[in-house]
Amino acid sequence: MEASPETKQPEKEVIGVFVCHCGTNIGGVVNCEKVAEIASQIPGVVVSKDLKYACSDLGQEEIRKAIKEKGLNRVVVASCSPRLHEYTFKNCVEGAGLNPYFMHMVNLREQCSWVHMKEPELATGKAANLVKMGIERSRLSTALSPREVTVEPSCLIIGGGIAGIQAALDIGDKGFKTYLVEKEPSIGGHMAQLDKTFPTGDCAICILAPKMVEVARNKNVEMLSYSEVVDIQGYVGNFTVKIRKKPRYVMEEKCVGCGVCAEKCPVKVPNEFDMGFGSRKAIYVPFPQAVPLKYTIDRENCLHFKTGKCQLCVKACVNEAIDHKQEPEEIELKVGTVIVATGFDVYTPTRKGVYRYWEYKNVITALELERLINAAGPTGGHLVRPSDGVEPQRIAFIQCVGSRNLKIANKYCSRVCCMYAMKNSQIIMEHSPDAEIAIYYNDIRAFGKGFEELYHRVREDYGIEFIRGRPAKLTKDPVTENITIRAEETLLAKITEREFDLVVLSVGLIPNPGTAPVQKMLSLPVSDDGFLAESHPKLRPVETAIEGVFICGCAQGPKDIPDSVAQAKAAASAASTLMIKGKHIVEPLYANVNEELCVGCGLCAELCPYHAIEIAEKDGQSKAVVTEALCHGCGTCAAGCPQHAINQLQFTDQQLMNELTAALAAKNSAGGE
Amino acid sequence: MTQAPKQPNPEFAKKVVEAGGKTLNLCFQCGTCTGSCPSGRQTAFRTRKLVRRAQLGLKDDIMNNEDLWLCTTCYTCYERCPRGVEIVDVIMALRNMSVKEGHMAPQHKKVAELISKTGHMVNLRDEDKALRKKLGLAEVPPTVLEVVEGLEQVKKICAATGFDKLIEGGSK
Repeated sequence: MEASPETKQPEKEVIGVFVCHCGTNIGGVVNCEKVAEIASQIPGVVVSKDLKYACSDLGQEEIRKAIKEKGLNRVVVASCSPRLHEYTFKNCVEGAGLNPYFMHMVNLREQCSWVHMKEPELATGKAANLVKMGIERSRLSTALSPREVTVEPSCLIIGGGIAGIQAALDIGDKGFKTYLVEKEPSIGGHMAQLDKTFPTGDCAICILAPKMVEVARNKNVEMLSYSEVVDIQGYVGNFTVKIRKKPRYVMEEKCVGCGVCAEKCPVKVPNEFDMGFGSRKAIYVPFPQAVPLKYTIDRENCLHFKTGKCQLCVKACVNEAIDHKQEPEEIELKVGTVIVATGFDVYTPTRKGVYRYWEYKNVITALELERLINAAGPTGGHLVRPSDGVEPQRIAFIQCVGSRNLKIANKYCSRVCCMYAMKNSQIIMEHSPDAEIAIYYNDIRAFGKGFEELYHRVREDYGIEFIRGRPAKLTKDPVTENITIRAEETLLAKITEREFDLVVLSVGLIPNPGTAPVQKMLSLPVSDDGFLAESHPKLRPVETAIEGVFICGCAQGPKDIPDSVAQAKAAASAASTLMIKGKHIVEPLYANVNEELCVGCGLCAELCPYHAIEIAEKDGQSKAVVTEALCHGCGTCAAGCPQHAINQLQFTDQQLMNELTAALAAKNSAGGE
Repeated sequence: MTQAPKQPNPEFAKKVVEAGGKTLNLCFQCGTCTGSCPSGRQTAFRTRKLVRRAQLGLKDDIMNNEDLWLCTTCYTCYERCPRGVEIVDVIMALRNMSVKEGHMAPQHKKVAELISKTGHMVNLRDEDKALRKKLGLAEVPPTVLEVVEGLEQVKKICAATGFDKLIEGGSK
């Protein structure tokens, strides 16, 4: 279907005005009868009524009846915000045979009665003026029809952590083609690094690895590991994606993951998966349960790339899988929906502060601790401290490092640190019952299912000491490298200095640096905490401002594993809804270019925040072309166009001028108030 | 045994904010300030508690309390506070309010009195005069001690600005 903005003026306007009381929400402040009375005297208005609840069945019936009986061709509903009931009233007038775009809403609630509760008379005057403006504007309304786009039945999922894996499983299981893109050599994300999970103590990799294998085996899921999304074009239902597969220098189809190559490789480097504590070879898998279990050569450190010699791995590999000449590969995909699950990074406490993480060896981050207590970690799960490799007896956790801190602009609570500190305390106590553990906290947030029970358990069964106070200073003993924490124990109002063998900083979560390029490609809005913004914090939690693009997991904000999984399932469901329908209705609120006036200067294309405008050749001339499905109707281009060649449908210059003229006339007649 | 509850006074807390403690309510009582305070090492001064009292508007606890004068304004707490509370500004605001209410510390009162009466914080002693002479300086420095009519001007300024009244016991 084509949008058909009519240029010619339709027959004389026959206008109906309906002023809603919204119970006492509007009616308690604004004199609705009076507003309806004033509106009834405006030329063209043939019906003007006040209704108790316009949105109710009775109210809607009144509107439909008036359309039929009086032959209305304009309906002005003065009630609440269009965000609440625009669709209700559009459907209502459509039911009576009127094109829904002839219905115009005036907001008397949020923009009048709620903000002028104490001035009922002035509010009534303002309401009458708002209605007058709406009437004048509606005179120039045009019949429009929504556009339908088809939705490609395939989904791109960016990020192969637990959220991305779960979303891929759900969509793949529904029978849609799914592409799971992961930039690291293996999927699994941060969850693969964790030892156990709170509050139940399940081993993280033990519950994650089966899902990793399952997603790799799912016949609808195509896993693209060690790959990055480099470009996304298009709009809901029709995205074109460019993906760059980085060279592993190992042919995936030949490598069986036997590991003989790594045994022979002479180069040892710190393993980033173990937070630098353990080592790996230059040809490696990041961890034993990696999926795909395919080796990767780290070009930076490989002797062959450095010297042109070596090739010990090549000789060792019986499958002849190693190919130092591999090139990056670019592939192009067509997908209908996108799910962004790019996850988080942990805050690195080096920018500011007195905890001296960068200086004191025995001050470590919680993620480093995870690797040091992990049975598959560099110490086999035996906790030792970095300075001397000795098992620490006195251990302190410091909470809220990089969270709830206005000085570093991380204002938010990271939501997982309280619980992981307790969980890790429990693990340490299980291994070393004589250890003494203190948790320095500000507030304990144990809000989830089973969390309070864990909080209780670590205090009762393990004697973990909770100290309310944020450490003011850490000092190191030059000989023993023990750390002394100076803090006010606020519940005692006492300043104490206590010595510990090891200090663990409970670092918060920050947006993954990999999110930013994806966010830019898709023009996704960002919340003020730096994480991706959902459409509505309560009612549209996985949708974004860009139709067809969904978010889940820590890309949207810090959250724990159960919440990430739940959100991934929600995003998968939302994306599937579009793909099951196979088509999507696009509101006809887009910018409309008058090609006779357009000179192809390109200013609009530059201004458009959604990349919805392109300059294209038409009959040898440059003209602006709007991709309607990408246009959000924000009006930036229309306001910016020096030729006045762009009209925002439903918000045309003439409509806005009419509205403005009515507003100014009202102001003049009210004696300049 | 329980204590009678102290009545919070939001009006007073508001006045502290207006008087310059605009970041007062960002505090979440973590105690970084107390732990950082060099004065608190030697005294019973607990920065966090002072801020808490200000948040609650416990006016009597603040105004008549010697704690208010134990801060050296070294700014360590200010620098380390994770919430961006401008603690020294809060304390200065409280001090100004306290003085206006007539709670000037005795030491400060003495110094202030000397300024308004003699134009100097420290008196010029005979030893000082001798020392000045020895160093080749005039016995009396070129201040109100030399320009005697200057002292009248200092007194006028003290009266015009209400400084005298502050010393006598508040400006209300």
